[in-house]
Amino acid sequence: MLVDLFKKVKKRMSDIPMPEAKTSVNIPSNLLFKCPRCQNIIFEEEFERELKICPKCGYHARITAKERLALTADEGSFKEYDANLYTLNPIDFPGYSDKIAALKKKTGLEEAVITGECTIDGQNTVIGIMDSHFMMASMGSVVGEKITRAFERATEKRLPVVLFTASGGARMQEGIVSLMQMAKTSGAVARHSDAGLLYITVMTDPTTGGVTASFASLGDIIIAEPKALIGFAGRRVIEGTIKQHLPDDFQSAEFLLEHGFVDMIVNRRDMKHVLGKLLKYHSGEVCADE
Amino acid sequence: MVNKILIANRGEIAVRIIRACRELGIRTVAVFSEADRNALHAQIADEAICIGPAPSKDSYLNVKAILAACEVTGAQAVHPGFGFLSENADFAHMCGRCNLIFIGPDPESMELMGDKAKAKKTMKRAGVPVVPGSDGEVKSIEEAKRIAEMIGYPVMVKASAGGGGRGIRKVDSPDKLEAAIYAAKSEAGAFFGNDGIYIEKFIANPHHIEVQVLADNYGNAVYLGERDCSLQRRNQKVLEESPSMLVTPELRKRMGEISIKAVHACGYKNAGTIEYLVDENGNFYFMEMNTRIQVEHPVTELVSGIDIVKQQILIACGEKLPFKQSDITLRGHAIECRINAENPKYNFRPSPGKIESLHMPGGPGIRIDSAVYQGYTIPPYYDSMIAKLIAYAPTREEAISKMRWALAEFLVDGVDTNIDYQLEILKDKDFINAKYDIGFLDRKDFASRL
Repeated sequence: MLVDLFKKVKKRMSDIPMPEAKTSVNIPSNLLFKCPRCQNIIFEEEFERELKICPKCGYHARITAKERLALTADEGSFKEYDANLYTLNPIDFPGYSDKIAALKKKTGLEEAVITGECTIDGQNTVIGIMDSHFMMASMGSVVGEKITRAFERATEKRLPVVLFTASGGARMQEGIVSLMQMAKTSGAVARHSDAGLLYITVMTDPTTGGVTASFASLGDIIIAEPKALIGFAGRRVIEGTIKQHLPDDFQSAEFLLEHGFVDMIVNRRDMKHVLGKLLKYHSGEVCADE
Repeated sequence: MVNKILIANRGEIAVRIIRACRELGIRTVAVFSEADRNALHAQIADEAICIGPAPSKDSYLNVKAILAACEVTGAQAVHPGFGFLSENADFAHMCGRCNLIFIGPDPESMELMGDKAKAKKTMKRAGVPVVPGSDGEVKSIEEAKRIAEMIGYPVMVKASAGGGGRGIRKVDSPDKLEAAIYAAKSEAGAFFGNDGIYIEKFIANPHHIEVQVLADNYGNAVYLGERDCSLQRRNQKVLEESPSMLVTPELRKRMGEISIKAVHACGYKNAGTIEYLVDENGNFYFMEMNTRIQVEHPVTELVSGIDIVKQQILIACGEKLPFKQSDITLRGHAIECRINAENPKYNFRPSPGKIESLHMPGGPGIRIDSAVYQGYTIPPYYDSMIAKLIAYAPTREEAISKMRWALAEFLVDGVDTNIDYQLEILKDKDFINAKYDIGFLDRKDFASRL
């Protein structure tokens, strides 16, 4: 076969000296992203462009509150509430103050939620966005207070509330103080609701514990991002308590949609548009477009 | 200077680049798909590395695998050839981030030229003539009438989202404009879900003529004359020649100088091609810029005496252009015929398979850039071009006659080819008299003469 003769080409050329190549390739460590769900590897930049949605399995990776705000609020419309509220160490939990200080520096956030007013597709609303990068967005006194105040302002100004939830639950470093935030926030949500105002929850990955058990589940409309983990207690705790095996996907947005706990699942790319439409439908404005 | 280059391509262009590297004393790394294990480029490179299964998206378009191949082999630069990743700005950008030299322009100019609307705007601003028409979409009938009046009938109404000849109307007179706009809009709306339209001057029987440029990293740029690529079948180039018989020395100078302006306008580096539509009166209009080596580059190499692939490598390694415009002399005439494994009698259907016997022509003035050999099996996954046959002679007449003999002597057994189809073109009186335009091959239907 002729193909076997091609070895000769290189042999014939072997007397011509060729400089040895020095490796210069340097693949930076932040070049690639590996999807934790499907293990697909994609370029970090492509992943950013895809709004941090895995193009293969549709996993919506966690994003920061600032990224979320940029995707949701109309440009330049956001006015922040209570940016200067910061937490103390109410039960003198060892290392808590240092941890908070380090996280502030790392994330550029004062606390695990940002709240304020903005427009979404031109609709005025109060908005709150929790950020899992700050102590897994656990709810302590400041998170509870900021959310409560946001609802109180919305009630006063007769505005709807859109709340993106994400949380590991109550903040154990604040002990009982964090638990009473559940009641406090729920009270504020109830007064907002009694005033006949709209509250939309968007549950993002992960929404769990005391946040699920309070304001996250109180929305008039409950939206979730695809494949988000939503639950109260973890699998091991529940299985240990009820002595039963749970379905594999029992705390997924899809499972909860099927069982009526979530009203709709909305892709991140469509979220702003869907929120804008829902706000418009409930604004009393005449909607001519649909 | 680098001493190891990975060629992120296959077929004859990969072979062409490997040869250029070897002449420059640079080691080569070939990448190949599972279907290309026996391909020539994988056989003759210093190293060859498999980058995935046969489908292009899993192999020759697989950026991760190609970057990994660079890391494994220690290649310092990547030559993308044409097609595949050659005009992918993201890939060029990734190479940069991995400290690899991408042999081509900066990702920024690739991106700019890749966006047709932006490219046109940039060119217009730089003083490069573009096809007269509306600036973007036309919003109302009144605006359309005003623009059509200004540029003169006949005009073309085209869908912004268009393609494949849909949503396009030629309008000869003002009274037909409104109806044509509504027709184009409804067709565009139905096919593309976007009924935006724009208006352009209708260019009658144009030539597709492109100017080859070379620019280094230090603001030096030269043009190497033009190629006439009007002989196309369904937008696929079939035969190219340089120089174009339509282009006078004055027009060549004007097109060349404007092309250099275009190069500077987008900060272009490395080899590039600016495509123009040229009408019978020598008016030329920018179409697009190809930010890579082109299939038909050999005809320019023959008339200019410059090895464009070597220059690409040298420029990317930071060398200055070794010549000025005044050093460039174009001499003689070159014609290239693309030899494809396809059957013109059956609507040019691809004809992959084993090449049982092969004899290629030769002699003075004949160049063959090919990746096939006797016993090679052409895989069905990629394009059907198996060779480029190029004839070079002092005059066009001699080049035609050389090409005819070379085609006649080009013997392939085992797969179908378009060699006889090419011969029909070379025998055609109108072709011999250089009377052709971009509609020529579709009008002539040479396949029916076989």
